[in-house]
Amino acid sequence: MSHTILVCDDAIFMRTMIGDILTGAGYEVVGEAETGVQAVDQYSRLKPDLVTMDIVMPEMGGIDAVREIRRLDPDAKILMCSAMGQQALVVEAIQAGAKDFVVKPFQPSRVLEAVQRVLG
Amino acid sequence: MDHARYSDLFLTEGREHLVTCAHLLLELEQAPRELEPVHGLFRAMHTLKGMAATMGYSQVTDLSHQMETVLDAVRRGERRVNRPLIDVLLETVDALTAGIERAVAGQDAELDFRDLLARLNKRPRTRKRTSSDATIPETKPSPAGMWVEVVIDPAAPMRGGRAAVLLREAEALGAVSGVTPPASELERESFTGQFGFHLASDAAPAAIATRLRTVGDVLDITCVPRAAGSRTPGPSERDAAKRSTPTVRVDRRRLDALMNQIGELVVTKNRLASLAAGGGGELSAAIDRMARLVSEMQAEVMLARLTPVAEVVDRFPRMVRDLSRVVGKEVSLNVEGRHIEVDRSILEQIGEPLLHLLRNALDHGIESVETRVKAGKPRAGRLSLLAARERNSVAFEVRDDGAGIDRAAILEKARREGSVPDSVTSLTDEQLLEVLARPGFSTAERVTSVSGRGVGVDVVLTRIRALGGSVEIRSEVGHGTSVTLRLPLTVVLLRALLARVGEERYVIPVTHVAETVLLDSRSATTLDGRQALTLRDQVIPTVRLRDLAGCATEPTPARQPCVVFEVGARRTALVVDALLGQEEIVVEPFEPPSGTPAVFSGATILSDGVPSLILDAAAVV
Repeated sequence: MSHTILVCDDAIFMRTMIGDILTGAGYEVVGEAETGVQAVDQYSRLKPDLVTMDIVMPEMGGIDAVREIRRLDPDAKILMCSAMGQQALVVEAIQAGAKDFVVKPFQPSRVLEAVQRVLG
Repeated sequence: MDHARYSDLFLTEGREHLVTCAHLLLELEQAPRELEPVHGLFRAMHTLKGMAATMGYSQVTDLSHQMETVLDAVRRGERRVNRPLIDVLLETVDALTAGIERAVAGQDAELDFRDLLARLNKRPRTRKRTSSDATIPETKPSPAGMWVEVVIDPAAPMRGGRAAVLLREAEALGAVSGVTPPASELERESFTGQFGFHLASDAAPAAIATRLRTVGDVLDITCVPRAAGSRTPGPSERDAAKRSTPTVRVDRRRLDALMNQIGELVVTKNRLASLAAGGGGELSAAIDRMARLVSEMQAEVMLARLTPVAEVVDRFPRMVRDLSRVVGKEVSLNVEGRHIEVDRSILEQIGEPLLHLLRNALDHGIESVETRVKAGKPRAGRLSLLAARERNSVAFEVRDDGAGIDRAAILEKARREGSVPDSVTSLTDEQLLEVLARPGFSTAERVTSVSGRGVGVDVVLTRIRALGGSVEIRSEVGHGTSVTLRLPLTVVLLRALLARVGEERYVIPVTHVAETVLLDSRSATTLDGRQALTLRDQVIPTVRLRDLAGCATEPTPARQPCVVFEVGARRTALVVDALLGQEEIVVEPFEPPSGTPAVFSGATILSDGVPSLILDAAAVV
């Protein structure tokens, strides 16, 4: 049975791309979220094996969403997606409980590596 | 990576984000100390940068990155918002708007943003690292354990981030202390990727090393048994949450297609209903039910197609700002009713006419600062764009408090051109409109870069009339001008009255219809020698459709139905032979054959398959 993944990013463009990379590798994308609020909501409903989380989103950013999700589920596995140049945010996200991060522009192989690492 | 697949998405979202940015920048200019717009700008730029980087558009990525950096500095209080900053940021948004189109066309490498990049960079930022910034923690001194040396790939992006992940991993294994170089250094660009720390743990160093090596971009880990370092708390809070309603994005072409199909369905339904009329029984009942369902469906699609006029008018404040600089005047634009929703078909057509009107007002309407001050007016001219829903139409008014239209000058020119007889001594508002609407008519001696040559009112009038709408002008010398465009709520499917004159049937859209009345011996009267009708306390001039359509005159029956038109404040009653009820009609593209009276603006096919002309109320009133 394949692992389930929740993809969170405010750009359809990014969600589509990440989704394609994941499904291409046999993962099942069970949900998408555009904002931190939606991410937390979807997480509690879908309980995915892993979450990909954009750092910057409207209505609760990725970092707050990480905190909220970890409050719901301390074992939540979250992979941050960040554009270049926002290292401070990435560090904050890691400290909030995200397990790892990937940097845009993505190389599919690196995304998949990170997913595998986080899933453990 | 297959770019072609994602280009459409990239462009759609990129354009949206840039429009948002322009809007927020104008907001910020008015309220320079507000943080909300800055956050919004930052997010939009960040997203755009990420998408551009993914597509491999490095020039676009660099420029967005630079703007994001500037916004970040503003966010943290390291840079102030002022006019020059807004200017350069607006220019950057413009450059990016054009840039993304070129990038998608494969020309990213040819984009040259060096000038803008330099200007964005101009103010050297003093990087103040406060304790509210996120830092990698340093822990208290502790006893036994090991010293861990880490080598992160020096070419990896965000080495500091990797360090954070690694330290987090380590913290799960034991207490971490003595991070060297210190945490604050790890996040600098200058961090090469090599650092060390103490880990208090009973586990075997080799096991720890193996475990930590799995962290991404880590080239090497060395663990050596050793001893003991203090904690500064980290992170800051982020944005507050707002409420939202669930929505779906739909390609607008789908809505257009849906609308067309519904239009066809409605016409067919009408046809079916008229065929089954009098048939009675189950067939009628079924058709009635279907008719109701189709109407409901139509209503839903119309609602789905409704779009706030903000989509079109939101770009005007920016345009007015820029143009007013070009013409050297001070002008403020006040927009009201931007939340009003109209059908897409209207929205698509209204932008250009409004633009014409705004430009005219800017160029010819509002006076120079000098002139205004001399006349005792406030320095800055006031331009207003007001959108409002009326009964069956939507009205857009462009108003200025400028010099007003010089009717005397216009009248003189019109007399010289022979378009107005000498007997006319002054122009009413309607006559003024007609004269101004003659193609090529313009009293401006110089052709300006803003408004162009006399192109304006006639183009606007033609376009609006073609949509079944109307134009109204009011102007007072010295005080200002107001132009109101009225449009039906949708131009695809219209509710209309069916009227008969002789053997022919004509279609009258309800857009400008106030009511229907009866003209008989009691209500008939005259007004200035013309036929008229008394309606409650008003006297309204009448016009015969028979005459307008060029039909032969016939003896007038004692009682005739009339349709009362209302365009703005003016009313006229149209006398017909009979009113045959209401229909929903699909407006067909119309090439009027020569000789067609000007009062007809379109054509349609009625439910029994017979074509019919659509009457233009504005041309009658």
